[in-house]
This record gives sequence, structure tokens and C-alpha cells, in this order.
Amino acid sequence: MADSEVVFRVSRYRPESGGRPTFQEYRIPYRSDMVVLDGLNYIKDHLDPTLTFRWSCRMGICGSCGADVNGRPRLTCGTYIRDMRKGAVTVEPLSNFPILKDLVVDFDDFLDKLASVRPYIVRKDWGDLSKEYTQYPEDVDAYRQQSLCINCMLCYAACPVFGASPEFVGPAASALALRYIRDTRDDGAAERLARLNTKTGIWECTFVGECSVVCPKEVDPAAAIQTLKFLATTRHMRRLLMPGSASR
Amino acid sequence: MTVHEYPARRRRVWWLRNRRYLAFQLREAGGVVCALYGLILLNMLIQLRDGESAYAAFLNLLRTPPMLYLNVVLFALVLWHALTWFMLIGKAQPIQFTRQPLPWKVVFGINVLLWIGVSGAVVYLIFGGM
Repeated sequence: MADSEVVFRVSRYRPESGGRPTFQEYRIPYRSDMVVLDGLNYIKDHLDPTLTFRWSCRMGICGSCGADVNGRPRLTCGTYIRDMRKGAVTVEPLSNFPILKDLVVDFDDFLDKLASVRPYIVRKDWGDLSKEYTQYPEDVDAYRQQSLCINCMLCYAACPVFGASPEFVGPAASALALRYIRDTRDDGAAERLARLNTKTGIWECTFVGECSVVCPKEVDPAAAIQTLKFLATTRHMRRLLMPGSASR
Repeated sequence: MTVHEYPARRRRVWWLRNRRYLAFQLREAGGVVCALYGLILLNMLIQLRDGESAYAAFLNLLRTPPMLYLNVVLFALVLWHALTWFMLIGKAQPIQFTRQPLPWKVVFGINVLLWIGVSGAVVYLIFGGM
């Protein structure tokens, strides 16, 4: 292979014919500033218009372009080809998700899980909407880390528990639940913890920790789940020991 | 036209995909081994109850090479299990005395020091008078 070329091994799956996904190789011109998404776009534009993949912002914000690159879930827009091991760049759809076509996976199940933890501010009473709901810097600091989640689903692709038990609510939905639980404007903690404090909720997590390793935004979903376990347990114990408490 | 969705499939040897997965699997296996080692100790107590000769026979069995090798493997896995859990303590529940939580490495170090201290005390209690 010339230094000016790089080989892409891309997983192809043709839904109209079924069967197993297969690999197809492409040789593309290489520049040191190219990311994997540039390579995929070159293939799409110049070599094979049938190759199908998702992408949008090209700057690590939209979370659309996730794929397994050389066996690890990554955002293809943030992965430089020069950082890959020498040899072919292998691109596969995100693990643990059903494949719709080529690199495009079906994430309807993830969206249902996300909706189940109500990832927005819940209030018992919206009161006077013309007044401000003040947030101090320390209030924002409490949930800033989890608020960086872009729903890219790399954490789900890295989670062997989700791979074995697809009903597991999973890392990103849990992290986002914590983000809103920690928001001083929110009143929905009890509802979210009731959803998460179940067999298919946070207790499925065995703390493999790979979700936090692959997260491109350093959200640390593994730590978020452990915090939720602590919150759920203290809430449960409070209800058990002080049944008449106001927080019930 | 019928469109087939390819189902999600976890690889059978997913834990060989990277070192962290393998470390996790060994940590979990260490948990099983801890229970197994507990059974060996429990059996030792049963032999002790059954009299001196039964206890001596069991000790002789433990001194045979296969049992010694088995104990080395069990000990390594128990050690790995304990150390990896100490590594997780600061991550699982951040210890917060100040505005920022303590780094997990500090929590890990404190736990290891405590572990060594307690183990030393136990060894002294057992063998100190000898």
C-alpha cells in the first residue's frame, strides 16, 4: 500500500437480501488530516454510492456518526486515520444494535429507554412562567458532566451487559436521568428513580466501566449509575425506616 | 420488497476484545473463587470438628503439589478481585471531603494501606506469639 493510500474494510449489510454482514475493501487517497468519516464520505462520493452511514455535524456534537472502528466504538468524525494502527481501517456498525443497512443501526429501542427516564425538566407546578428560575454556577456544576451527553450510543455499543440483556435501560439514559435529578428546578426524581430502581434498570449494571472509557464527551455514565444506585437505595431505606417522612 | 433487519448479536468471546473486558471477567471470576476458598476453609473447620487425624489428613492433602498450585491460582484471583474493587471504590461512590471529590487513585491507595495494616494485624494475632 502506498503511503498516499489507506485501505478501508467496511461492513456491508444488504437488508433486501438478508444473510450475514460481509466486509468490502476500498482503497482511498490518504491525507494526514483525514478522519474516518472523511474516508467514508470519499467512498460514498467517488467509489460506491450504495454505502450507507449516518453523519451530520462533523464536529462531535450531533452524535450521529458512531461506528466500531478497529473494534472500538468511536465517533468517526473525531477519529483520525493517522491514529489508527498501520494497516486497514475496519469500520463496522455499532455493536449490540440491530443493523438496518451497512453502518446504520436501529436505535428505536434506545429512544424508548431514553423517553422512559423523562430526560427533561419535570415540575409539579410551573407557577409563574414569567419569573426566572435562577441557576447558580454550583447548581450547574452538579449536572454539567452528565449534560454533555450527545446520545451517540457508543456507551451502549461498549456495554457487554446491554449486549447480553437488551432490556437493560443502559448507560446514557441513566446518565441523563441523573442530569435531571440533580437539576434544582426539577421535581421528577421520584418518577425517574422508580423506573431505574428495577431489575432492568440500574441494578443490571455490573460496573464493567467501558461505557465511560469510550464516551467521547467524558460523561462517565458508569459513575452516574453508581450514584443512582446510592440515591435509589437511600430513598428505599428512608421509605422503609421512616414511612411517614415528607420525602415519601 | 421485504426488508430484513440483522439482529443484534453479542460476540461469544466479547471479553477478549480488549484488556479492560478481560480484567473485568477476571474480577468476576475472582468473586467465584473467593466463595470457593470460603468452602475450603469451611471444610477445614469440619475436619477439625471430626478429630485430629481427620484434620491432619486434610492438612496433608493441602500440602500436595496440585493443591498448592490450585491455592496459588486462587490466591492470585482473590488478590486481583480485591485490588480491582479497591480501584473502583472511588469511582463507584466519589469520596467528597472538599468541593471536588478525592481522585480515585488516592482512595485506592488509602484502601490498600488499610488492607495491608489489617492483614498485618491479623498475621500478628495468629503468629505473634510464636
